[in-house]
Amino acid sequence: MLSVLSYGRLVARAVLGGLSQTDGRDYSLITASYGFGKDFRKGILKKGMCYGDDACFIARHKTADVLGVADGVGGWRDYGVDPSQFSATLMKTCERLVKEGRFTPSNPVGILTSGYYELLQNKVPLLGSSTACIVVLDRRSHRLHTCNLGDSGFLVVRGGEVVHRSDEQQHYFNTPFQLSIAPPGAEGVVLSDSPEAADSSSFDVQLGDIILTATDGLFDNMPDYMILQELKKLKVSLQHVSLCLYVLETNSNFNAFFIIASRFRLPTMTASCRLHRALQSKLMILPTTLIICPLLHSLPVTMA
Amino acid sequence: MLTLLSMFYYICLRRRSRSGTRGEALTSRRAVESGQRAVLPVSVEVEQYAKEVLDFSSHYGSENSMSYTMWNLAGVPNVYPSSGDFTQTAVFRTYGTWWEQCASAPLPFRRTPKGFYSKDYIELGFEEPVYPTAVEVFETYYPGAIVQILACSHNPFTQNPPTDVRWEVLWSGEPTKVLTPQARQFSPKIKHIGFPTNLLRLEVNSSLLDYYTELDAVILRGVKERPMLALYKMPIIDISDLSDSEEELSDVGGPFRQGDGKHQRTGNGYFDKLPYELIQLILSHLTLPDLCRLAQSCKLLHQHCCDPLQYTQLSLQPYWARLSDASLGHLQSRCTLLQRLNLSWTGNRGVLTLTGFSSFMKACGLSLVCLEMSCCHFLNEACLEVISQTCPGLQELNLSSCDRLPPQAFTHISKLTRLRRLVLYRTKIEQTAILSILTFCIELRHLNLGSCVRIEDYDVVASMLATRCRSLCSLDLWRCRNLTDRGLTELVSGCRMLEELDLGWCPTLQSSTGCFQHLARSLPRLRKLFLTANRTVCDSDIEELAASCPCLRHLDILGTRSVSAASLKKLLQSCPQLVLLDVSFCSQIDMRIVQELSGLFPNVAIKKSFTQ
Repeated sequence: MLSVLSYGRLVARAVLGGLSQTDGRDYSLITASYGFGKDFRKGILKKGMCYGDDACFIARHKTADVLGVADGVGGWRDYGVDPSQFSATLMKTCERLVKEGRFTPSNPVGILTSGYYELLQNKVPLLGSSTACIVVLDRRSHRLHTCNLGDSGFLVVRGGEVVHRSDEQQHYFNTPFQLSIAPPGAEGVVLSDSPEAADSSSFDVQLGDIILTATDGLFDNMPDYMILQELKKLKVSLQHVSLCLYVLETNSNFNAFFIIASRFRLPTMTASCRLHRALQSKLMILPTTLIICPLLHSLPVTMA
Repeated sequence: MLTLLSMFYYICLRRRSRSGTRGEALTSRRAVESGQRAVLPVSVEVEQYAKEVLDFSSHYGSENSMSYTMWNLAGVPNVYPSSGDFTQTAVFRTYGTWWEQCASAPLPFRRTPKGFYSKDYIELGFEEPVYPTAVEVFETYYPGAIVQILACSHNPFTQNPPTDVRWEVLWSGEPTKVLTPQARQFSPKIKHIGFPTNLLRLEVNSSLLDYYTELDAVILRGVKERPMLALYKMPIIDISDLSDSEEELSDVGGPFRQGDGKHQRTGNGYFDKLPYELIQLILSHLTLPDLCRLAQSCKLLHQHCCDPLQYTQLSLQPYWARLSDASLGHLQSRCTLLQRLNLSWTGNRGVLTLTGFSSFMKACGLSLVCLEMSCCHFLNEACLEVISQTCPGLQELNLSSCDRLPPQAFTHISKLTRLRRLVLYRTKIEQTAILSILTFCIELRHLNLGSCVRIEDYDVVASMLATRCRSLCSLDLWRCRNLTDRGLTELVSGCRMLEELDLGWCPTLQSSTGCFQHLARSLPRLRKLFLTANRTVCDSDIEELAASCPCLRHLDILGTRSVSAASLKKLLQSCPQLVLLDVSFCSQIDMRIVQELSGLFPNVAIKKSFTQ
C-alpha cells in the first residue's frame, strides 16, 4: 500500500507544479473546521475537533466525504458527567467508521447506528447524550445523503438561497431528540432516542453549492438572511483564502463552533491554522456552530 | 487509475534524471558507463502495513464491531506510541493462566514438543509479496506475547486455488513477560527465506502476562527481487529437514521390505533383553516426529513405534503447517486405540479434505473420546456428519472459531449423546440446532456458546439447559446479546451444579431485577463469575456473593460505577480462595484502593486496566 502512496505523492507534486486539468467527474468537498465553546473568552480551547460540548468530524473514504456535528446535552453537568465526552467520542467513532469504510454512503443513519453501538462496546462506562447530524456526499452519484437527530442541522445554499434544510426534532422546549447512554436504573428517566428516529433525506447537489452543518447555536442566534449575507462574502477561488467574520450578541446559553471553508492550494492543516489565528484576533463573540463546505471540482489525488 | 499514476511517475522520474539530480537511474547509468559493478543495491526495500486480516483464533470484541477486534491489526497504527487499553487495538480473548485453571479447560496433550508455545494466532495478508527482511509488531499494551512468526508461499489474494502451500518459520521464541505494560515496537531478527511472501502468521502466548495483550499494527519489510547470495544461503535440504517433512510420516514402510526376506534372526543387542513394556515407556517420551524417525531405524523399533498403544493421545496441532491427507493416511493404521485427538488449526487452505478426514475418522473414531477441532476451516457439514457417525462415544468436541461451518452442520452434533464438553465459541450455530443438541445431550458438563451471534433467544436456551442439562458445571455465555433476568433465574434454578458462569458483555441483564443476588444464593459452589461490562452490578450483588459463594476464585466486574471499596473488602474477606478480581474501569475503585486491597490480600491478583 505504501508504494501506491509514494506514487501518489509524486503525482501530487506534479499536479501542483503545473498541471491544471482536473478530473471533473467526481465531486468533492473542500472543508475546514473551526470553533470554540463558551469558555473561549477565558482562552480555553480544547484540542482537536471538540469545542465546548460540541464535537465534529470530517472524514473521507473512497467514494464519499462525510461531515458530522454533535451537540452534547449540557444538563449532564449537574449530575457530574462531562457532556463533551459523549459527543466527542461519538464523533471520533463515526470518523473511524468512515475511514475504515464500514458504512454505506446512501445510509448515514447506519453510520449513527454503528457509531452508537460502538460506544456501547467501549470498556469505559460512558455517560451522556448528544444530538447528531451527519452529511454524506457520494462523489460519484453527486448526491448528498443526510440524517439529523435533534436540533442540530444543515443548510444547503445555492445561488444565495437556501434550497435544502433539515427539520428540528424536539420533544419539548430545549429538549431535542438525543442519543444517550444513561446510568443504570435511570433508563426510564433519561431521554434516549434511537438512531432510527433520525430524519434522513437524499438529494442531488451541484457544483458551487455550499453545505452548512451547524448546532443550534447558529440557527437560534442568526436568522436565515444574516447567514446568507455572510455566506455571500465567501469567495471561492484558487488564489486566496476568504474569511467570514461573525459578530454576534453574547449568549451564554449556547456553545459556539463554526467552520469556514474556502478553496486553497495549501494543505488543509496550514490554512486552518491561519484562519484560526485570523479569527482569534478579529472575533468578539461567537455563540454558534457550523461547517460550511463549497462543492467543487475534485483534485485527481487527495493528499491524505 | 494505476496506469495514469505510473505514467506520471515515469514522467517525473525521467524529468529528474534529465535534470541531473541524484537518483538511482543516474548512478546506475554512470556505473555501467564506468564498467564497474553498481555499488547501490538493485532492489529497494518495501515497507507495508497489513492489508487485511484473514484468519484468527479468537478475539475480545464483538463480531460486528471494530472495538477490541482482530480486524484492527490491519492498516496503520491507531494508538502507538501511546500505551493503554484502547478500543482501536487487536485483543485476544484470554490472557494468563486463568482459563487453564478452570474445570472447563481441556487436559493438555502428551508429547507436546517443547518449542511449541502457541495458544492463539492471527494471519495477515499484505499487498505485495516480498522477500522479508524485517517484521515489526506494534504492541501497545502488555507486550511480550508473540512466540512465532511464520511466512507462507501462497498469495491469499489470487483467485487460483492454493497449490504447494509452504509455511516457513521466520522467528520463534518463548513467551516473555515485560516488566511494564508500556507500548513497544517488537522487531525480532528474522530468518531469510527462499520465497516471496505476502501472508504472515503471528502466534501468541499470553500466559506470563498480567493482562490482555493488545496489538496495533504489523509492518512487513522486504525486497522485491531475490536477495543476493551473500545475504542468504541456498536452502540445502539436510537430514533434519527431510525427517521434518511428511515423508517420514509416510515412508515408514520403506526400508524394511527388502530386509524381511533375508534376515530372520533379531540382532537388536540389548533391546532384545528389555521387556516390551519398558521400551514402550521409553518411547512414550518422544515427540511425534522423533517417533516416526525412530520407526525407520530397525524392525523391532518399527514394531514398537507403530504400536497403537503409543497413540492413545495424538496432538497434531504443533504440526499444523505440515499435516496433509497423506500424513493422516499413514497414521491411520496406528490410531485404532485413539482416545484423544487434537486437530486444531490443521487442514486450512486445502491440505485436508473430506476424503482424508473421513477415512481417518472411520479408522479411529470408535474409541475416540475427545476431539479438538478449533479453527479447522476445512470442516463442512459432511465432516460433522462423519464425526457423528464414526464417534459414538465422543465426550468432548471443540469447534471453537470454526466460523465457516454452515448453521445446518450443527444439527449432527445432537447424535453425540454422550457429549460432556462442547465448545462452539464464534460459530454460526442457530437456535434450532442448539435446542436440539440440548435435548439429546443431557450429560453436558461444559458448554461454551461465547459470541454465538446467530442464536436468537438465549432465554429459551437457558430454560432448555435448566430442564435437560442438570449436571451442567460450566457455561460460557460471553456476549450473548439477549439473555434477561428471566432466563438467568431459570438457569440457576435448574443447573444447581454450576461452578463457572461467564456473562461478560451481556447487556440485557439488570441488577435491579435481583437476578445476580438470586444467582449467588442459588449457586453455592460458584468458582468463576464474569460480569464484565455489566454496568448495573452494585454493592448488594457483591455482598450477596460474599455471603453465599465462599468457593469463589475468579470474579470480573469491569466497568461498573456502583461498586464501592467497602463491599469489595467484604468479598475478599469472605472468599479466601479468590485469586482473580478484575475491577478495571470501575469508577469508585481507583489505584489507591487497588493498592490498599492488594496489600491486605496479597494472594489476589487485582486487575485495574487503564487507557492512559
